[in-house]
Amino acid sequence: MTEDKRSPFLIESSDQLPRVTVLKRFPLPRKLGVGKESRIGKGKRWPLPATAAARVKTFEIYRYDPDSGDNPVIDIFEIDLDDCGPMVLDALIWIKNKVDPTLTFRRSCREGVCGSCAMNIDGTNWLACTRYIAETDGSATIYPLSNLRIIKDLVPDLTHMFAQYSLIEPWLHSKAPAPERERLQSPAERAELDGYYECILCFCCTSGCPSHWWNGDRFLGPAALLHAYRWLIDSRDEATGERLDDLEDPFRLYRCHTILNCTRTCPKGLNPGKAIAEIKKMIVERTG
Amino acid sequence: MKTIASRRRPLSPNIQIYRPQLTSVLSIVNRVTGVVLSAFAVFLVIWLSAAATGPQAFATVQSVIGSWIGQFLMIGGVFSFFMHLCGGIRHLFWDAGYGFHLRTIYASGWAVVIASFLLTGATWALSTYMAG
Repeated sequence: MTEDKRSPFLIESSDQLPRVTVLKRFPLPRKLGVGKESRIGKGKRWPLPATAAARVKTFEIYRYDPDSGDNPVIDIFEIDLDDCGPMVLDALIWIKNKVDPTLTFRRSCREGVCGSCAMNIDGTNWLACTRYIAETDGSATIYPLSNLRIIKDLVPDLTHMFAQYSLIEPWLHSKAPAPERERLQSPAERAELDGYYECILCFCCTSGCPSHWWNGDRFLGPAALLHAYRWLIDSRDEATGERLDDLEDPFRLYRCHTILNCTRTCPKGLNPGKAIAEIKKMIVERTG
Repeated sequence: MKTIASRRRPLSPNIQIYRPQLTSVLSIVNRVTGVVLSAFAVFLVIWLSAAATGPQAFATVQSVIGSWIGQFLMIGGVFSFFMHLCGGIRHLFWDAGYGFHLRTIYASGWAVVIASFLLTGATWALSTYMAG
């Protein structure tokens, strides 16, 4: 990790940390609109295991134990930086191995490919495996992805988001009989998909989208719409019209108000906001 | 002890913890200024009705505008107008498919903020100059 020399005012890529935000959170009452079951209490402090650690870092982590019947809490963990890997995911694994084996989170590839360890780190959504501990606040705050029902600790229920993903039918539609060999694309046609096929479905964007917070039951959200666009522009797909018909809906597509939190937060540097704008354009263009 | 089945899963916090960013802040500002402008549209009707009613009614409304709080609200209204106007132009570019690079999003965002302050200041200076 090298020191970031880019302007803190002009964010050039989504990996740039927010350094000029005055407030860490919107000045709203913490309980405003929060259901009784979702209110967050104070948890316990887990001190460092008795060792002479020189570099100590604290993590404030959202905990929810479905078996206890208690509300979620924020636990504070101390970790020994000299004994721990460099990434936030390393810290979580360190805590699980050395402090509290019940700490629950999803992880798999540990290199930003699988999208399992998406969570809210210091107020923005990112993958724990590609965020350096050194980039976090003095006391790092770790919450699960925003606005999702929590199964345990940092594991949210993604059923609804995957249902929305399946709604856009993310596979090739073709009416013609199956060809003898693979369906060919020119390099230019293939290049159209660049920036849209790389999505790993971590749902950092959808769970960071205020429109999806308020209308997530019917608004498809940036992740599903980015995938919808990926199939709309695929030269081999023959269902463009039907796909647009399915999307042309006040809620499914048009609840996107171009807030662009999605583009700001994508850990793969993709641009869901641009994809959604292009879908809206396609719908306008076909009406002639 | 409540079992899993009897208890609703908690919803993870959203607006309570998500960090304010230029993207989301300008979005909410665009909405709030739109609401403010609707209120000022009502005030504009009152002002015009007063002008149509007669010199006395008009003088009353003018004195309200001229008061300390009236001046404060007028600046707020003018700022809301320019913020909403500039934000709207930014949205027009987006709707046409331009300006989606993250750097452009931030550049246009700050441009809207700076332009709104400058235009509000210019309007204020002009109106003060014209009022003598």
